[in-house]
Amino acid sequence: MAVVVAPTTFSLVNFSAAEIVRIAERLRDEVGLPQELDIRVEIAEDSPTGRVSTSSIDPLIVTVEGGAFENPKKIRSLSEPNVADVLGVLFEQAADRMDASFGAPDPDAELSLAHRVAWEITAVGRLDRLGHRVQRPRRLYQFRNRHGFSDVSDAAFDQLWARRPATWGELVAISDAARSASLSS
Amino acid sequence: MTSAPDVARSMMHGIFVGEIQALEGAGRTCFDFDVGPGNEEIPFELKLDMARQCWDEARHVEISCKLADFMGTEIGEYGESTILFEAACNADPALRLAGVNRALEGLAIDVFNTMREFGQDSGDPVLEFCEDWMLADEVTHVKMGSDWLRRLTAADPRRRERALEFQRVVDKLFSYGGLRGDDEQSPVRLARRFRELAGFDAVELDEIGDLSREAAVDRKVAAAERRRRAEVA
Repeated sequence: MAVVVAPTTFSLVNFSAAEIVRIAERLRDEVGLPQELDIRVEIAEDSPTGRVSTSSIDPLIVTVEGGAFENPKKIRSLSEPNVADVLGVLFEQAADRMDASFGAPDPDAELSLAHRVAWEITAVGRLDRLGHRVQRPRRLYQFRNRHGFSDVSDAAFDQLWARRPATWGELVAISDAARSASLSS
Repeated sequence: MTSAPDVARSMMHGIFVGEIQALEGAGRTCFDFDVGPGNEEIPFELKLDMARQCWDEARHVEISCKLADFMGTEIGEYGESTILFEAACNADPALRLAGVNRALEGLAIDVFNTMREFGQDSGDPVLEFCEDWMLADEVTHVKMGSDWLRRLTAADPRRRERALEFQRVVDKLFSYGGLRGDDEQSPVRLARRFRELAGFDAVELDEIGDLSREAAVDRKVAAAERRRRAEVA
């Protein structure tokens, strides 16, 4: 089934819907989402900030503020690494939600910041293994901010980066243990 | 979702670039003017203060560079402008002091205080202490700007008013469309206490808050106009 990008033409930013579709289709296949899954990427081109959200898993509907796809060195231009980084995480998380053996993560709106970040870290670690450009130090800082600046926190990061936990419960346990160890130290 | 740490990283990158330009600007003020009482001359003691500021800014460049690396940011990751340096090239030293030392270094007080609080809230001791040390220097730089502006323009109220007008222009330009402001929800909050220590009075601080609100309205009007044009096209 098709990957659809809306709008199909952009007037405020220099994005190409066809280019975004191409990247999204590649990511869908790499992540292992079903070919028959309808995917819709809705882009708010008038917003320079970078919030993203998933409103539905099947069909998969993701909403992205334009800044999330921009090249920060050349404002209003599309950045392929940033598109892959943003959509890659969302697609990985959608795949986790579709995997019954992984368990049931909380709805996005109810996720704590620490669990949300831990889940992003394991998703970006997978993108790294797929050969995408990722910024490991940036993600380490993001993880430390939510789990504490400690050796325990860094070890938990390494664990999440290197391997996806088998279940949501395992991921939550790693995140909670890192956080409580940092808070008690 | 864009997370707070990412916003902090881009702000840190902007600080790093700003420090380079502030170093260049203070260096130019040491070099550009002869010693003397004229409008295009400066006292030798002002040169000494600008030399001390160069020393501080060079240290800030190193700190910012290392902090950006610590936060996972690559140098050149974000696009930056040269407006700070342009303000530092004004032909009148009084306007340089108003535009750079009072407006831009004043902004640095607000930004560093925000980043210091971010470091406190997130439990990041490295960010918190680095920002605290740099904040102390910025208060000194703004105080030097406040003191020298008064001294250079003591006998020329019109020159002082021109300098303060230039400061207002720079203040509005660098409120980032109201991002820096005096309101509870402002992402970068006007650091009133530290600015008072640096020679700002309550009237001036209220004025900066008003300028930021004006800039926020201007930004919203401009965005609405862009959307309208896009729809027409």
